[in-house]
Amino acid sequence: MTSETGFDPALYDRFPIRKARPKGELGELERIWAAPTGWARLTVINNNYIGLWYVGTAFLFFILAGILALVMRTQLALPLNGVLPQETYNQFFTMHGTIMMFLFAVPIMEAIGVLLLPQMLGARDLPFPRLSAYAFWAYFAGGLSFFASLFFGLAPSGGWFMYPPLTNMTYSPGINADFWLLGIGFIEISAIAGAIEIIVGVMRTRAPGMTLDKIPIFAWAMLVFAVMIIIAFPAVILATLLLELERALNWPFFDATRGGDPMLWQHLFWFFGHPEVYIIFLPAAGLVSMMVGALSRTTLVGYRLVVLAMLATGFISFGVWAHHMFTTGMPTMSIAFFSAASMAVSIPAGIQVFAWIATLASGRPRYNTPTLFLIGGLVTFVIGGLSGVMVAMVPFDWQVHDTHFIVAHLHYVLIGGSVFPLFAAFYFWAPMSSRHALSERVGKWVFWLMFIGMQVTFLPMHLTGLMGMPRRVYTYLPGSDWVVTNFISTIGAYMIGAGVLLFVVELFRSFRFSVDDSAGNVYEGGTLEWAPAGIYSVRSIPVVNSRQPLWDNPDLGKDIKAGRYLLPMSATGNRETIISSPLRAEPQYLEIMPLPSAWPLTAALSTAGAFLLLTVQAYGVAIASGVVAVISLLRWLWETDRPVALKLADVGGGIKLPTYATGPSTHGWWAMVTVLIVIGMVFLMTIFSYVFVYGIHPQYWSAPPDRLWLIPILGGYAAAAGLALLGRHLLAREKSTKWSPPTQILLAAAALGGAFTADFGSWRLHGLDPELSAQGALVMAFLVEQAQLVAVSVLMALYLAARTSSGLLSRPRNNSFDLTVLFIVYTAAQASLSSLLTRLFPGGL
Amino acid sequence: MRRWTFVLGGLLVWAAHFFLLYGFASLFPGERLVRTLSLAATIPALAADAALLWFGAARRRRADCNKLERWLAGLAILGAAISIVAVMWQALAAAIG
Repeated sequence: MTSETGFDPALYDRFPIRKARPKGELGELERIWAAPTGWARLTVINNNYIGLWYVGTAFLFFILAGILALVMRTQLALPLNGVLPQETYNQFFTMHGTIMMFLFAVPIMEAIGVLLLPQMLGARDLPFPRLSAYAFWAYFAGGLSFFASLFFGLAPSGGWFMYPPLTNMTYSPGINADFWLLGIGFIEISAIAGAIEIIVGVMRTRAPGMTLDKIPIFAWAMLVFAVMIIIAFPAVILATLLLELERALNWPFFDATRGGDPMLWQHLFWFFGHPEVYIIFLPAAGLVSMMVGALSRTTLVGYRLVVLAMLATGFISFGVWAHHMFTTGMPTMSIAFFSAASMAVSIPAGIQVFAWIATLASGRPRYNTPTLFLIGGLVTFVIGGLSGVMVAMVPFDWQVHDTHFIVAHLHYVLIGGSVFPLFAAFYFWAPMSSRHALSERVGKWVFWLMFIGMQVTFLPMHLTGLMGMPRRVYTYLPGSDWVVTNFISTIGAYMIGAGVLLFVVELFRSFRFSVDDSAGNVYEGGTLEWAPAGIYSVRSIPVVNSRQPLWDNPDLGKDIKAGRYLLPMSATGNRETIISSPLRAEPQYLEIMPLPSAWPLTAALSTAGAFLLLTVQAYGVAIASGVVAVISLLRWLWETDRPVALKLADVGGGIKLPTYATGPSTHGWWAMVTVLIVIGMVFLMTIFSYVFVYGIHPQYWSAPPDRLWLIPILGGYAAAAGLALLGRHLLAREKSTKWSPPTQILLAAAALGGAFTADFGSWRLHGLDPELSAQGALVMAFLVEQAQLVAVSVLMALYLAARTSSGLLSRPRNNSFDLTVLFIVYTAAQASLSSLLTRLFPGGL
Repeated sequence: MRRWTFVLGGLLVWAAHFFLLYGFASLFPGERLVRTLSLAATIPALAADAALLWFGAARRRRADCNKLERWLAGLAILGAAISIVAVMWQALAAAIG
């Protein structure tokens, strides 16, 4: 058999090992992985706890946003109703959309990933459990504070896509819009942290033998989902940053009177916003693909086609953003291309739908609650998909744009494609984390109330829209055509509410969290999350030979529990998991995992504090909070990247794995590269903004500073990259002194600072005024991005120096050192490109 | 990286073709020029997809092709096939739009 890493796959034949495991081994494993108790439980980082809290919080936001929807539907039930005044109604629809999209739909998918993936992949935990804890707490604190703005009349009111000029300082004075911009920008950071965790988790922590063609389909979906977040979310991070800068500092990115353009916001927002729909749909599709086979008692039809469909959706979804902008007067040919792409995206969606139907048809489905939710979701999603193809046709879109037809369409897609599958998943996987399964009898009531309520609410809403009722109006006159349909929609909304309420009651009645005494495999799934497990995930990490290992090897669960596979104990006395190769999942090394810590919690709370305090313009306290966040972050990292005394650990079957690894094959390197892709995407979007704004209003642009400035600037950046690489070279040399490698890094950081000062200074000397024109504002935006990267590089260099002085810099290679070098080289490259672009384009080329 | 490029090749071709067409429509004045450039860009895109199909089929036929490699080659072939449909569909907008 071919090997990817030099590992001999014949070694897999040694498992399961028949020899009995030593007594006390399991107790030791439980002791090492035990969750803190009492108040210290807040410092827990294990995926079972963080995942469940994450799911619970996201579901809380679903309920809160649902309550807002019910109040809005009550307002619209009758003409000239007086339940909500106009401004409050505006705040309600803005918060409903924002919470559902940013605080429910994406986070709950990440949450389910955190909860399910480690066991599904046969890992002990995700590779960066502290990052998961940070992402959760940041989301929890930021989300609740954002929601609380509603009670103080400070909630935003510009709609969930916050178009300028409505949201600029002229039309949205006060701090309501700032809550949205800073709050959402911050929550996106949490989403990206979760995405990094998922990418590295799926690619690098799979059980041995779980080659790419054997990955559970949910893991494929989560991989595509996380990559899409990495590519799409930087656009909205940049957009929120630019709009906040415009509002706070009067930099005219979106102000057409000074060379900016409001259309820039729409491009940036929808480059994120449309993939967002698929970001929400794909994990749900992954859940459906997992459940549909198990519930039909057969394997998923067309596994490879479904994987292809997920990948294709990931790609095509980035080519459809402008279909939200058909009415803005874009060039005819652009519209034609986006229209075609919008129709083409139905092909991968169709492949998945047909695969699910074929699976149901070829199996023997049991019509229990999860199956009902699956079928209900399928029907609803197909209706939403068909109305989606309708609005992909430009003349039709012109007619229904911004009417209730669109509201109906998007709810059909999102509820059918995401909410119903999620409820199916709640029922299906609840027995994994609870002592009792949820009641089937109550579940069927929940389903029928929600399903019928959904159709009663949104089917007539198509007519409301076709009759011409615009979205986002808080009332209408008696005698309008849409009085009856609005009333019907409100009745349906209350039916959905009743269904959700019943579900919540059932949760309180039946759900009892447990990691080692759960109800178990009630629906007879075949993947690894249904193997016997404890807080440490599976007792021993199995060798995987098929997509449904528990179906194909009925003894597997018993053997896993008896410790007959890999790592049935703690090999080094620490928390550990096996890092495997990306394609063939061959074991490569043992990751020493961190212990519970309060630092991710304090880092998250102080980061949230910094953003929220900025919103209320308490700048001094915000900076102090930011400093606490940085200190917490460094303190959290300080305990990591420490090689253990045992260099090679026996993980069972005579297989020995290194306990420390460095370089491009490590999980840390993968995470850093993913972070750099995020930063690169922000940079790419800034380049797009720069070129776009120039293309619209070239008359506002003036000549850049003398090009001779490029010599010291590019020279400085090249020196920084060279010194960093020299430092890495010196670290590996035995003859170099203790301080010579980190000194190169400190010098490299100084070179970055020098080159940046020359870049910034030359523009200031040239008379750069970011308030005067969009060119000035965008050049300043590039410089702000650059300043951030240089500041982080300096911090990393100082951190490395501190670790050196404490004797924590391992030789000949060290991960902290490697990652600092990688970051500095990237910073130098991006800074060089930035200074070249702003000086040579336009006019210099 | 080469393996991933091969597996995702068809989808990458589609993405490159789409963004080229969007670029033409945004940068160049005049529908006629945009249509001509778009159709011209379609030919190499389809050729690249055809090449991917051929490489994929050849890889699957190789005697030393193991199960995973065969599966990945199959994924690449299907990706190239869907890319052909998507690229032609995209080009239709330029041909008859």
